[in-house]
Amino acid sequence: MMQKPIYLDYAAATPLDERVLAAMQPFWHEQFYNPSSSYLAARTVRVAIEDARSYVAHWLGARPSEVIFTAGATESITIAVQGVMRRFPGTTVLTASTEHDSVLASVMLYRHKVVTVLLNGTVNLEALKTLVDDQTTLISLAYANNEIGTIQPLRDVAKLVEAIKLERQQNGNTLPLYVHTDASQAAGYLDLHAARLGVDLLTLNGGKLYGPKQTGILYVKGGTQLESILQGGGQENNLRSGTENVPGIIGFATALDLAQSTRKESVAKVAVLRDELQRRLLQAFPQASLNGNLKKRLPNNLHISWPGLDGERLVMLLDERGVQAATGSACAANKQTASHVLQAIGLKPELLHGSLRLSLGAFTTSEDVQRAAKIIIKSVQDCQKAA
Amino acid sequence: MVFSNQRNDKAYLFAGNPPVALMKQVYVGMSGGVDSSVTAALLQQQGYQVTGVYMKNWTQDLPGMKCPWADDLADAKRVAVQLSIPFKVFDFEKEYKQLVVDYMIEQYQAGRTPNPDVMCNQEVKFGLFLRAALADGADLVATGHYARIEGRRLASTNEHFRNLEAASGTARGRPTLAHDFEAVRPKMKTSLLMGKDLNKDQSYFLYRVTEAALEKTLMPLGELTKMEVRQKAQELQLVTAKKKDSQGICFVGKVGIKEFLQQYVTAAPGDIVDKKTGRVVGRHDGAIFYTFGQRHGLNVGGGLPYYVVGKDMARNVVIVTTDLNDENLWLDTVVLNQLHWINEAPSEDRQYHVRLRYRAPLIICQLKFVEDKLRLKLEDPERAITPGQSAVLYDGERVMGGGIVI
Repeated sequence: MMQKPIYLDYAAATPLDERVLAAMQPFWHEQFYNPSSSYLAARTVRVAIEDARSYVAHWLGARPSEVIFTAGATESITIAVQGVMRRFPGTTVLTASTEHDSVLASVMLYRHKVVTVLLNGTVNLEALKTLVDDQTTLISLAYANNEIGTIQPLRDVAKLVEAIKLERQQNGNTLPLYVHTDASQAAGYLDLHAARLGVDLLTLNGGKLYGPKQTGILYVKGGTQLESILQGGGQENNLRSGTENVPGIIGFATALDLAQSTRKESVAKVAVLRDELQRRLLQAFPQASLNGNLKKRLPNNLHISWPGLDGERLVMLLDERGVQAATGSACAANKQTASHVLQAIGLKPELLHGSLRLSLGAFTTSEDVQRAAKIIIKSVQDCQKAA
Repeated sequence: MVFSNQRNDKAYLFAGNPPVALMKQVYVGMSGGVDSSVTAALLQQQGYQVTGVYMKNWTQDLPGMKCPWADDLADAKRVAVQLSIPFKVFDFEKEYKQLVVDYMIEQYQAGRTPNPDVMCNQEVKFGLFLRAALADGADLVATGHYARIEGRRLASTNEHFRNLEAASGTARGRPTLAHDFEAVRPKMKTSLLMGKDLNKDQSYFLYRVTEAALEKTLMPLGELTKMEVRQKAQELQLVTAKKKDSQGICFVGKVGIKEFLQQYVTAAPGDIVDKKTGRVVGRHDGAIFYTFGQRHGLNVGGGLPYYVVGKDMARNVVIVTTDLNDENLWLDTVVLNQLHWINEAPSEDRQYHVRLRYRAPLIICQLKFVEDKLRLKLEDPERAITPGQSAVLYDGERVMGGGIVI
């Protein structure tokens, strides 16, 4: 009898929390109403959505009116980036070379600049400072990178932006300078208080939070000027028209509430497991390269490379032996090209294709880690022999 | 015991005789389908040193399905990982586009109905792939075709013969590869035979392959039926065991030939003319999209069904008839050019079988060479013989070769 596979790819998708499922349950059948309808039964659905919005707002330190429910992170990012750039045509957007495709693809549509990162994946603040000019209206930076887990110094970026804004005020430049962050990977482990982070726009994704896929939010700080890119019935403050995905919204809010209220325990628990896995792998392979910023890294992320190894082959072998993991980000793996994130952090060519991204989560156990470590060590050795 | 280190950790999967390690490097073209997966597994079981190779051929990104080959490549690699064999990707994208895709488009433009699979085998699999594999260190290549290769003379060396002796010493009384003993016999011809599974036989597509290429090729599935192949795949729990067979021309994919061609050729609408009356009975959207004997899609309403019996490419006219017994629809004479023979050329003094399209029944025929062409006289007239298609001659189950219908 085959043992249940060990899932170490929480950065790609998370299983739905039972409590989230339970919270969503009434909204498929009994409370199916369109929240915009005027009868009493529909009003209760509207109330449920607004309650959900308040919960989300609470964790962001925001007003409920600043929370826009979206269908997942890509949509949220698109509304943010394209919304600002259409509102201020001809201006420049700035992003980092390690951003997710969902950001890069939108950014590429406009005048843009790409800031480099340091070898550990941290954005180069010096370079950022020189790249911002009088025409820059938006800086988009992921809170934590989806591949290597590096946490960006958003507060330092915010400080920099404050100084630039002050300078602009003195020079009579009335263009805004907004900061957007994709916090999809960070939401389970890090503080999401928007004012503390100093961001104007913030993206979250239910699918990485033990919530349903295709759910998420865009936080839009009051006063932020966005052009709507989706026309219709004017729902969600006119930024995301379309009848609300009620079960999804309830599921997302429940998931975020659960994740944020137990965030510190989750960090403590998962970091211990991750460190144990890291210790075992490094013990077996002292020459392997750990990627990312080891001091500022998501507590569930372990990204490791072996010179000359075929990472894709390793992942397939692990799959066969009962460990589900990733070579980098799932999208990059399918395209047969080296991950742009790993290229951006200057990984040596012999390491580029030999990477393994292990991401732990709520259901990872100590036994999983011990068993996975053994399987990974054996599989890396077998792959090295095959090469 | 010399060879024990050649057995991999999957050897337990292969019940029965342990493999006789022949130290032969075989590069198996793996497409990510069940046939080539089982091919690799069988050869490994027989003791070959197998390397899986995915040939990256030309594809286009279709709306809604970016790089459709990525899944196939991943499946091929997964099987390689399951079997613990090395895996490589050969990139023939540019060459494939020129040799197969452009050829096909050209032929359609000239009003013919070509067979790109024949071209793919001749130019890519048994041309580019074979050469690249040999240059990379392979002794042989293998494909998952349902056809057999007989009488192989291995490009053998004394060293190989010594290996055989050593192997038979350790594996006394156990079956070994019959054709390897051909190595010590004088050269004999290497022929292509139909696959044992007559329902699946793919020898039709292989008639333009050269004897020299066949000498370097293994096709183990020729001995098996499709059902046996699927069974084998399930026994070995290959990830491709339940994968659907691919249909149609790979690079045309899901769009269909007409939509595919429309991207590359400018087709002008024209008249559909009744052969008997000479009257215009309808309009078509490009003569190149119509093929001999076709009934559907003529946009001709009412009355008896019309069939395509001719095309005038210069005038962009499609000629149709309602006469099911039209002389062009049923021909008993076929003329071929671009002749290719695998071994010796066939003789005019005797009868052969001809196959005029994939899986079509075999027809008895008499040959007459006319300069560089070949005229076939069929015993029974055949419906809708289509210019551009391949006619393949068989002597019993042996493929002689064939040519292209003029």
